[in-house]
Amino acid sequence: MPQFINDSQRGIRPHTGIGPRWATKRIVPAAAANSGECVVSNDSIQCYMLWIDGIGAWQLYLGHSFSIGAPTFEGKSADITLQANISRRHATLQYAADHWQVTADHQTSVSGRSVDSATSLRSGDQLSLADRVKLGFHVPSILSSTAVIDFESTHRPVHSVDGIILMVDHCLLGPGRDQHIYCPDWPDIVVLYALEGSLRCRSSLPLKVDGRPPSDSAPLKDGSIVDGENLRFRIEEIH
Amino acid sequence: MKFTFVPEASPLEGYTIKRAIHRGGFGEVYYALSDSGKEVALKLLHNNLEVELRGVSQCLNLKHQNLVTIFDIREDRDGDHWIVMEYIGGRGLYDELQRYPNGMPIDEVLRWLSGMTAGLSFLHDRGIVHRDLKPANVFCDQDTVKVGDVGLSKYISESRRSAQTQSVGTVYYMAPEVCHGRYGREVDVYALGIILVEMLTGQVPFDGETTAEILMKHMTTDPELSALPAPIQTVIAAALEKDPKNRIQDVEELEQRFRDAVTVMAPVDLELDSGSSSPPPVSQTKPSIAAGKSVTSTARPPTATVIGDYWTKLPALVKWIVGGIVTVILLEAQVLSYITSGAFLGIFVYTGYLAVRYLLKPKPSEPVNSKDLPKDTNVESVTAQRSDPDTNSSQPPPLRRQHRGTQQFDCLSPATPRAISTRQRISDLVNSLSISLAATCLVTLAVYMTTNLLHEPVHAVFFGSVTMLGAWALLILSKLREGRPAEVFMRRVMQGAFGLGVGFLAAGLQNYLMLSDDPLLHFPDSDGKPWVVGRIHLADGSGYPTLSAFMMFFGILFAARRWWWQADSFRKSRFRISSTLVTLLAGAVVAGLLQFPGALGATWALAISAVVQLSAAWTPQAERLLQYESSSLPLTGGRSRKHASVTSA
Repeated sequence: MPQFINDSQRGIRPHTGIGPRWATKRIVPAAAANSGECVVSNDSIQCYMLWIDGIGAWQLYLGHSFSIGAPTFEGKSADITLQANISRRHATLQYAADHWQVTADHQTSVSGRSVDSATSLRSGDQLSLADRVKLGFHVPSILSSTAVIDFESTHRPVHSVDGIILMVDHCLLGPGRDQHIYCPDWPDIVVLYALEGSLRCRSSLPLKVDGRPPSDSAPLKDGSIVDGENLRFRIEEIH
Repeated sequence: MKFTFVPEASPLEGYTIKRAIHRGGFGEVYYALSDSGKEVALKLLHNNLEVELRGVSQCLNLKHQNLVTIFDIREDRDGDHWIVMEYIGGRGLYDELQRYPNGMPIDEVLRWLSGMTAGLSFLHDRGIVHRDLKPANVFCDQDTVKVGDVGLSKYISESRRSAQTQSVGTVYYMAPEVCHGRYGREVDVYALGIILVEMLTGQVPFDGETTAEILMKHMTTDPELSALPAPIQTVIAAALEKDPKNRIQDVEELEQRFRDAVTVMAPVDLELDSGSSSPPPVSQTKPSIAAGKSVTSTARPPTATVIGDYWTKLPALVKWIVGGIVTVILLEAQVLSYITSGAFLGIFVYTGYLAVRYLLKPKPSEPVNSKDLPKDTNVESVTAQRSDPDTNSSQPPPLRRQHRGTQQFDCLSPATPRAISTRQRISDLVNSLSISLAATCLVTLAVYMTTNLLHEPVHAVFFGSVTMLGAWALLILSKLREGRPAEVFMRRVMQGAFGLGVGFLAAGLQNYLMLSDDPLLHFPDSDGKPWVVGRIHLADGSGYPTLSAFMMFFGILFAARRWWWQADSFRKSRFRISSTLVTLLAGAVVAGLLQFPGALGATWALAISAVVQLSAAWTPQAERLLQYESSSLPLTGGRSRKHASVTSA
């Protein structure tokens, strides 16, 4: 058994200086901002990092419409930014009327077919931006409309992530290949879901969120650590 | 899996841990960001020793695109050492191997091989040997293959503590000479050879239940490469030579020879790929070289293997019951003469088959037909995939232990040459002979009680005495020859000679006990004519065996079976019912051949087999390697203590 060392011994400290920009502020209701809750509002997109021990890192977006583009140093970047030679707003992914579609602002193709108007996406399609950026589009679970984007070319966001979750209703993490995040050694599924504008989690496993059992009344906060017998992940809000 | 540090911990000034990546043999690895946002991997070294840190620091300034860059070595407030190194995203070779349980497409194999070779070649050129090359240490970042853990491998050989925490994964790739404490770049060639086999077939060539068993196979067993095309077999076999002097000397040569072997097959590959009309499976875009063979063999296992597997899985009690039933049926149902006739017919047909096969077999010196061989394998491969495109993804990923059962005992069998001290031999022998007394009584009692063979106590005395004599002869001979290099023919000849002696004594005892015309020894099918071969009177026509018949019976019975496989301390299991039954049949056949009383002959064979197995010394699998190692000291000029520490892991 590894030796567990408490945080104070190991010196956990908040980020300072020019550090990674995971934590700049975004528009959230004042009450929620004060409490640090992860708030989901209908008219804005929320983005989180899921840091999963032994598994990887995923960007999780909540909303129904997501723009994709290159990062910009001035003005507003696209929702999903990729370090690639593409436009600042290259295409937009939308979930409406029970299906996903892509709207191209610049050269985009879906599974080899060039598209210029709104085009439906099916699970397994390959999205190609400016010919060189290849993204896989999957809706792995029949229980959820949430989509997963994986990187088929070498283009990535600024930091290494294993994939992007476009969360419509639920995000399933667990030992099945049909879960949004495949965690082969986990004993059971953990479900992330949005309720009353906040992100929460649920599982049949005995989990603890920041040391307390999860409940519908206890939303996940920015920086919350979800801990179980054989799993641990941290949620961090990105702005 | 629990890790020491929680997310957002900052054990090293300037770095914040974001998540744990994995826990390996050397310690925990974390993904962290520097204060300015640079991604790094932080490796916490548990139990670090100075010598290990020296190894890493020697590699600190090596720069090569195919090596994972080490940025720094830092010490935290608690005095633990951390290696700060390049973070590699993307899948490692280990993960890729999980995706291809039946072997990777050849293009992928060449891509990984090329990157590994470049990285290792750079290290070798600077006088550094990696020594811990394994799939878990090979990564791919943005299409560039990178070899990691450079300089850390001293953990394996020089630290007893780390040997205990070392993962078994390392042992799969460990060259035989690592156990002796001698290292050269050939160990990396060997590891690369093993990885090549794993990439091509999805399985490591040497697998086992324990670290010791795997190490033993590295040292003694030839790799099973028959699933690979012949040109590739040759290259891999040269890379996996046990003796580093005979092995391919550097990784570049291995890569070149491998590419040459693949080039020979390339036209056929292309032809098959273009001819495939069905879309390739998602997880595997091209047929792997070895996939076809393994899939085919999985789909249609030979009947004998199925029966063998079924027998192996039976509980011991059921085996004993079945064995008992078969024995009684054979002895009581008067079917021995049919068995004898059937066996003769079978032997005759089999001899004819062998002769035909020998005549039709192509000469081994014939040059390999470079087109036919790969074509065969690839045709199987494509066929298998067409019929079931999801074969690869639907199979459970770990196939490493597929061959267990057939290979497990190859390297620790009675055929393993080993040094055994005279004292040990004498001690084992004295024990065996003592135990054989009790075993003989037990077996004789069982025969007396359960069959109608022995009617009177004197029969039991005669039967038991001869059984014990036979068992002693075989135990003594086997123990004298145990561990010596296999000379099967000579051993059989010697056993035959001992058998003649036992037969002579048995005939003498028969006279002494006045059993010469006892019904016990009557051969009912006697035709009343004497049977004389030269000066040997095999039968005198009376229906009772002659002295010659006794001697010939035991002589042939002893020569016919590999009795040392029943008496050797490295035999498969202490008591094998199947061996006993086969011996019983052998006894029946030999008795039938010589007009010797069939039931008595068969029962003697069974009883001797039982007594030999019950009383011969036996070493459990787990202890064999240690026994082998300690006994082999004088042969190898002193194995290092280092190996003992590895094997004790």
